[in-house]
Amino acid sequence: MNIVITGVSKGLGLYLCKILLEKSYNVFGISRSKTIELEDLMSMYPDSFKWLNYNLNNTDNIRQDIFKNWIGFDIPIHGLVNNAATAYDDIITNLDIDSLEQMFTVNVFASMILTKFAIRHMLLHNIKGSIVHISSISVHTGYKGLSMYAATKGALEAFSKNVAREWGEIGIRSNCLVAGFMETEMSSTLTNEQKNRIYNRTALKKSVEINSVAETIEFLISQKSNSITGQNINVDSGTI
Amino acid sequence: MEARVFEIINTVLSNRSKPKISSLKSEMDLRNDLGMDSLDLAELTVRIEAEYDVDIFEDGIVRTVGEVLKKI
Repeated sequence: MNIVITGVSKGLGLYLCKILLEKSYNVFGISRSKTIELEDLMSMYPDSFKWLNYNLNNTDNIRQDIFKNWIGFDIPIHGLVNNAATAYDDIITNLDIDSLEQMFTVNVFASMILTKFAIRHMLLHNIKGSIVHISSISVHTGYKGLSMYAATKGALEAFSKNVAREWGEIGIRSNCLVAGFMETEMSSTLTNEQKNRIYNRTALKKSVEINSVAETIEFLISQKSNSITGQNINVDSGTI
Repeated sequence: MEARVFEIINTVLSNRSKPKISSLKSEMDLRNDLGMDSLDLAELTVRIEAEYDVDIFEDGIVRTVGEVLKKI
């Protein structure tokens, strides 16, 4: 199975690549930077791990650079994980439109365009593929300073549900993995006090394990979840 | 080229368990005569694009076989 994953240089994206490669998937990973950890993974799996340096801020060349020139129309795609995201966090009275637009471009528009071309690729090869969008618990539970970030993820959740409805009869699935707060760079700007407040709002009273998130994504990508589409699957330490 | 488009159209129709056509005429309407819906047209688009590198729907609606052939 060939899986396209965005945002693979660090955090969840990198970990997810590792899990999928261990399970013998072929991974097409995209990121705008190359970390040492990423290089290590590339040298461990020279045949099954392909990497492309691409900044998803550039939505114009996604078809040409990613799907045509890099993956190629001859290679079937079985799954897409829209994981890449930027976080512009601030209280709303400080909203800066340029930063907000840039975040929407990467988190929402690039994900939508990737979905467009992944589905087209699946149609070409008659693949009943699976698309997973990484969302955030901030869509469902408010956090100070995250309204703009949460709005991008809420947009993805609405998009995913409708894509699921649109393409279900072809067998193409779309789901969201709603992640709680993990100890990754994405949440590194939070203070310990802020983090503890967040964890205290969860049933398990702790951060979300990255492994639990990655294994659930693998489940949603795989045929084990063939009857699941249009859903938001929470992996959030029980934020209730 | 016409023969190839004919094959592609029949591939799309049979993928969706719809009756194949026996001949191709340029005045045939993709929806009304061939029975294609929006998802079939999406598949037709990608199959033509993969071979001819042209997105037939990129700049407007294409209704007939003749209009498809003109775009390629």
